[in-house]
Amino acid sequence: MNSSIIGQDWFQNTLLSNQPEIEKSKVLAVNNIQAKARNQLKHLVMPNRKQETWRYTDLNSLYEKMFKLNDRKTIDAIDVDEWIFPEQESYRLVMVNGRFNPQLSSLEGLSDRIIISAFSQLSAELQFDAARILQTINSFESDAFAQMNRSLFSDGFYIHVPKNTWIEKPIEIAYVNHSSDDQVLSQPSSLIILENDAQAKVVERYMSLDEAEYFFNGTSDIVLKKNAHLKHYRIQQESHNAYHLSRVALKQKNGSIYKNVNLALGGCWSRMDIQTAFEGQQASCDLQGVYTVRDQQYNDIHIDVKHQQPNCTSQEKFRGIIHGKGRAVFDGRILVSKDAQKTDAQLSNKNLLLVDDAEINTKPQLEIYADDVKCSHGTTVGKINPEHMFYLRARGIPEDQAYRMLCLGFAEQVLEAIEDKPIQNYIHGLLSNLL
Amino acid sequence: MLSIKDLHVSVEGKDILKGLNLEVKPGEVHAIMGPNGSGKSTMAHILAGRDGYELIKGSILYQDQDLFDLSVEERAQRGIFLAMQYPVELPGVNNMTFLKESMNSIRRVNGQDELDAVAFMKLVKEKAALVELPEKLLKRDVNSGFSGGEKKRNEILQMALLEPKLGILDETDSGLDIDALRVVANGVNALRSPQRSMIVVTHYQRLLDYIKPDVVHVLANGRIVRSGGHSLALELEEKGYGWILEEDAA
Repeated sequence: MNSSIIGQDWFQNTLLSNQPEIEKSKVLAVNNIQAKARNQLKHLVMPNRKQETWRYTDLNSLYEKMFKLNDRKTIDAIDVDEWIFPEQESYRLVMVNGRFNPQLSSLEGLSDRIIISAFSQLSAELQFDAARILQTINSFESDAFAQMNRSLFSDGFYIHVPKNTWIEKPIEIAYVNHSSDDQVLSQPSSLIILENDAQAKVVERYMSLDEAEYFFNGTSDIVLKKNAHLKHYRIQQESHNAYHLSRVALKQKNGSIYKNVNLALGGCWSRMDIQTAFEGQQASCDLQGVYTVRDQQYNDIHIDVKHQQPNCTSQEKFRGIIHGKGRAVFDGRILVSKDAQKTDAQLSNKNLLLVDDAEINTKPQLEIYADDVKCSHGTTVGKINPEHMFYLRARGIPEDQAYRMLCLGFAEQVLEAIEDKPIQNYIHGLLSNLL
Repeated sequence: MLSIKDLHVSVEGKDILKGLNLEVKPGEVHAIMGPNGSGKSTMAHILAGRDGYELIKGSILYQDQDLFDLSVEERAQRGIFLAMQYPVELPGVNNMTFLKESMNSIRRVNGQDELDAVAFMKLVKEKAALVELPEKLLKRDVNSGFSGGEKKRNEILQMALLEPKLGILDETDSGLDIDALRVVANGVNALRSPQRSMIVVTHYQRLLDYIKPDVVHVLANGRIVRSGGHSLALELEEKGYGWILEEDAA
């Protein structure tokens, strides 16, 4: 059976087995989102390797598994003991196996002008607002997994920061999974809107309490209005058996600044898609990240930056540490259209290969139709320099520690840009434990 | 301290050291001079344990132990320090973190307590002042964007922190101007002690005006062809290496 049919069957079965759960929703806004996505899906085939953006992705192992939405009414009594920020100094939103968990969340002291909430906790009116915005944005229109996320829409987060409002406390979102009777399908959708001159800091963490097998299929839509400023950290630290697929769709108005750092560490199969579009001038978008690959792991980063307006700046800077016989994919595309003069777009992807027989597919793509731009791209694959190893060991540092220092040093080219110390320290810790 | 006997070493099939003998006692400073390609740096590298060299025959005893039984880091942990001719830049590795990790790695295996951040900071600032290394360079990545002189000073700073038993300076003077040379030499002289030995590898005599050696050796064609006092270095300065090579060939 060819892979496109396998994918279609898999999706139909997933839809069918989750139908009872979906029908429970009495909320019109949710039903509308689901219905629209299902309609869109009629014109799409599930991804397969014949499609250019999926040609490096092994989907069959995913399509062999069946995942179910969490139908439990009770709230899981779990404990998340690892947070980046102390409770009093942050807002917390927690989703466990795809369901909002109010016990673990905390929004103390939040001004009622600001919305930080699970979709399911919003008033009917606000649910309709959010649903309408999501449908208008209609991100990842032709991505069947994104439409699958919408067609089985159950919950997500809505963050709305009114104009000229700066949220000083970081918002720490944890998508937590743990083993349960079924292999869980976790499908959150979040929507973050910063109005003119608003500022916020959001950390999204994708994690597991054990070695659970599940499929995380999430989307984050972000809209930055004029001069809005968002720092967005995403830390994928899923279980070793997890399938992780997450998308970010970003729209930026005049003068807005988006700073984003992605860590892709866990999962047996992981793919992050980021699509950004400038809808105004003088905006800047900074995408950075570190990914690691261990034995049998597949880790994929797909980025699509569209410059359709003049005078915008974008940077993509990703570092891969391949320490096992797995596979890494980096696909970074920058499109500069005819009118996007004075664009400054830089793309760099470097990989550190620590084993033989690993596979790295790195594919930088610059498509430039404007004639007055500053653009560059570069990718490398290299090994640890033996001179560097010798230098550290000649100063008494044991071999394994020297190796770790050099790997962290390689990642540091990205991590040094993180302005929030607690996040930087947390990521350093994660990487040290991993390598 | 160190006893090298009849050392024969080759690199990629080419013989570099051909019967090198050297005895260094505690507290002594030995200068190794010689023309380019004579094997000076090879000798320094062999002592630190760098790979890429093939031992044909001969032995090196360090504190009565066979040096070839020890890994690179074990040698450092037991007090061998090589100040490199070309210190590498380590992007992403913070200089302070590196110095602390190095120092504490050595302290750990020698049964000493690790230094805490405060004590380490105090010590490193004191030693940095000794080699006139600007404090801002401590916060940068190891050697990254350092000038030639700053890299060499960073080497001597490491030596000052690690307090080795045997310090080997591999052409530390190369590329230095007179001011930097003086600073580096002062740093080295401050470390001289009756227990600490040093091997100063250099092509030029000038460094030896500042670091007065006990013995000067001329290494040529893979062997030590002549040894003497400081006056030998002055003679080489005046007459070059040609006459020694001729005498050796005769």
